[in-house]
Amino acid sequence: MSDLSRTGPVGRSLRGAVLAIVALLWVGPYLWMTITSLRTLDEIVQAPAYPLPQNPSLDAYREVMTQVPVGRYLVNTLVMALSIATLQILLALPAGYALAKLRFRGRGTAFLLVLACLLIPPQVTFVPVFTMLGPVGLVNTMGALVVPFAVSAFGTFLVRQALLSVPDEIIEAARLDGASELRIVYGILAPLVRPTLAAMFLFSFVYHYSDYFWPLVMTTDDENRTLPLAIALLREQGTGVRWHIVMAGNVILSAPVLAVFAIAQRQIVRAVAQR
Amino acid sequence: MRRRDVLAAGAGAVLAGCGRDDAGGVPLWFSYGGKNREALLALVDRFNREEPEHRLSAVYQGDYFELLAKLRTAIHAGRAPAVTHVVAEILPYLAHAEVLEPLDSIAALQKDFGFVPELTQNGAFSGDKNRPVYALPFNRSTPIAYLNGSILKELGLAPPTTWDELETFALAATKGKEGERRYGFSCPIDWWFWVALVAQAGGELVDADNRFILGADAGVEALQFLQRLVHELEVMRPPSGRDYNAWQVQNQEFIAGRVAMIWNSTAFVRYLEDNAKFPVVCAPLPKRDRFGVPTGGTMFVLPKAKTGRMPAHWQEAGARFLAFMARPDTSNEFATKTGYIPVTRAGVELLETSGYYEKKPNDRVAVEQLRHVKPWPWNKELFRVQREVVQSRLEACVLSREDPMATIQAAQHVIAEGP
Amino acid sequence: MRPRHPLHPYWMLAPTLLVIGLFFLYPLCVAAKDSFYRWDLLTEPEYAGFENYTRLARSGELVGVVGRTVTFGLVVVGASTALGLALAILLNRRGRVYAFFRSAIFSAYVVSWVAVALLWMWILDADAGVVSRAFRAVGIPTMNWLGDPRSALYAIAFVTVWKITGYAMVVYLAGLQAIPPTLFEAAALDGAGPMRRFIHVTWPSLRPTTAFVASTGLIMSFQAFDVVRVMTQGGPVRSTTLFVYAIYEEIFVNLRVGRASALVMVFFVILILLTVLNLWAFRAGRRMKEAT
Repeated sequence: MSDLSRTGPVGRSLRGAVLAIVALLWVGPYLWMTITSLRTLDEIVQAPAYPLPQNPSLDAYREVMTQVPVGRYLVNTLVMALSIATLQILLALPAGYALAKLRFRGRGTAFLLVLACLLIPPQVTFVPVFTMLGPVGLVNTMGALVVPFAVSAFGTFLVRQALLSVPDEIIEAARLDGASELRIVYGILAPLVRPTLAAMFLFSFVYHYSDYFWPLVMTTDDENRTLPLAIALLREQGTGVRWHIVMAGNVILSAPVLAVFAIAQRQIVRAVAQR
Repeated sequence: MRRRDVLAAGAGAVLAGCGRDDAGGVPLWFSYGGKNREALLALVDRFNREEPEHRLSAVYQGDYFELLAKLRTAIHAGRAPAVTHVVAEILPYLAHAEVLEPLDSIAALQKDFGFVPELTQNGAFSGDKNRPVYALPFNRSTPIAYLNGSILKELGLAPPTTWDELETFALAATKGKEGERRYGFSCPIDWWFWVALVAQAGGELVDADNRFILGADAGVEALQFLQRLVHELEVMRPPSGRDYNAWQVQNQEFIAGRVAMIWNSTAFVRYLEDNAKFPVVCAPLPKRDRFGVPTGGTMFVLPKAKTGRMPAHWQEAGARFLAFMARPDTSNEFATKTGYIPVTRAGVELLETSGYYEKKPNDRVAVEQLRHVKPWPWNKELFRVQREVVQSRLEACVLSREDPMATIQAAQHVIAEGP
Repeated sequence: MRPRHPLHPYWMLAPTLLVIGLFFLYPLCVAAKDSFYRWDLLTEPEYAGFENYTRLARSGELVGVVGRTVTFGLVVVGASTALGLALAILLNRRGRVYAFFRSAIFSAYVVSWVAVALLWMWILDADAGVVSRAFRAVGIPTMNWLGDPRSALYAIAFVTVWKITGYAMVVYLAGLQAIPPTLFEAAALDGAGPMRRFIHVTWPSLRPTTAFVASTGLIMSFQAFDVVRVMTQGGPVRSTTLFVYAIYEEIFVNLRVGRASALVMVFFVILILLTVLNLWAFRAGRRMKEAT
């Protein structure tokens, strides 16, 4: 494939060495996390030199489950991430359609507005959004977690780009058949740009499932607490070392995303690399 | 803010659904984990069994400072909990912002609970004693010294009672080359311990007009003492980590026998006794010009109902819980499970007469040290001075070896600039 | 195309523009306004003029924060770009083993920041962490990576590199696969060895990709927050107080909405500059692609 593929023994052993380092650096930590989560408190306190747990135990997982309502927080997290990913697609389709296919006054301005939002990440807006939503009682609601992300500027841009390559004739034919505009957008155009939408959905889901920043600043109590927040809180003060429990929480937090990643790696990579 | 209010009213009416219900129970926010968590949750359970008409639900909010950040933002957002506990230093500010319910106006709390005076709001703060009471003592502490009993015996020394003796002890107990050295002494580079040193060096945080002077010379000398221990004598290793992480790291190093003496809150008596493989010997902090310690830990408060859009009965539930926690039996249960000071006089007497203190002399150290408590100044800037001005400068001064005089002057300068 | 009804396009755009207005543009105006007030969320705001800005500048806080963030950004971008390129070249092969390694590296980019930060806190733990213990075992002097003001910023930069190198690698892989094989064949026919082929074919063809990866990485590292909040809370001695964490600390720890807003405005300006850089890199990349 690439230029370095036809290499001699030196190249091959270099490659072997790199693979070993890669394994140590990128696979090792996951193993260490899992191994730690199977240890007991005693082993952790004694800071064991031996690599494998002497008496593998699931106590740490039990501890996480009793201390944290994992199920409820996981549902919160999934509801949030799925709503955001779904809303982004539902809103990006008509917006992308208007921007790609329809001629109207202000189209250029509208497009620029969407693009301008790429400049305004949540790290810029969280202070005013928080002070804005606070007095109206919206902080701490699922709405505060979802609605600000209902529009993805980049997603809208991607959908517009994808729709640009759809021939006008398809839309004209649909109009002649009497299909409503909404039906054209969601029923006819959406399937045509499905790869873009799938990539967008997956990327958005994975990103928001893991998000720590926004839920941290927009929730004050545990009603809408998401899993990343709860896992970060596992490292509670007042006790000694409890890394086995924290790592068990880490495994619980990472497993769903790694599963999604294992299944849909291709689409996620596409979403990332397609710029 | 007018435009914001209009927007607020509109969006609020449509979306918010103004009140809160208590399907999940009446919220009680707490911080700090470990044995504190276990002891508090057991008591909340008992309260819910004893008074089933008020079902409290305890929500963990991280460490003291994380909880405070959440509390103040929640007050802004109208989501304050019915009950919570806060570090004492924030009280003057919260009282100034008028977000706390004066507790002496609540019927269920209008009685003399017989608290240990130094641990109450009036005892813990100097100045006017006629201000309304906003807080009742919960987990109250003083810093104490923890010594490794085996090392004490090996060296044939008694716990140090003066700064000089502390140096002598630390020098004697430090051994081994760098990398695997056992240190003689350790103490978090933290506001609380610095305040203790300032008091011992004869200084005051504020002058007669309640303006912050940060101990003046004593503030500088406290820093010089720490620098000397760390850099000159090399008998002290400051534990790493921010805030309570450092306290925790220090506990670990003590348990592992890598440091002979630590200063920490009395809160950890039980934890350290249970986990150390050697006898733990507690002692009061030493003096230089005089003995002196601040109080620490937290106090219970009830945020005003409007700060949480609370259903009418939440405050009642909160007050009932505070009264429950002020009983000698419940507060003693919390104290003996952790190491905190029992907050009622009757509770202290009970532990004395029942022979508990005879069996567990370490628990008594903080109680006896109450004689030397220096009250906090009642100044609304107290917490800001602690967190924003002093804390990070202490670290910079001791760890990066900056000039103590310049450090204190810079801090005084920032305070003088005003909020 | 002409819309069926002149109002249709506006209806189609309405929800998007509403959200954009409410949660992107309006907040920016609010932040601009709040930056001229002294406000602690709980008591009434007071007009403060430019005080928030001047105090940030005079106290040295702004310089410190910008300096740390730039250092962090350069370290992260330099390391993740170089590593991403190297890994992309070495792992750009068929076969399950290579696919597995590519996935392993990229998976770090997908996993939650919280999980990554906690995991590395444990690995880098000064006392019981596996790195310190391994170092001690072979007699290398170890450090308190996260607790020492000299190393903490680089420790979190390392963790960030670990997390985003997969991103750089994936983008580079796409770039590598877009290079026409004929170029390599021609170079090989000329007798160029692997190093020469890299210098004369791979690197020039990937220059636009590099510009893109680097500038995107710079924006990403300027927005770093989770890693700081979980691992160091900005310490020790503020050595890891990066820009977003400084904003967070001003509003949620110090309750200074005004100063937080002033920082937000400065941050916004910096982001604009970085994005201009990013766009320029992207455009330059396009032009070069068209030229080849």
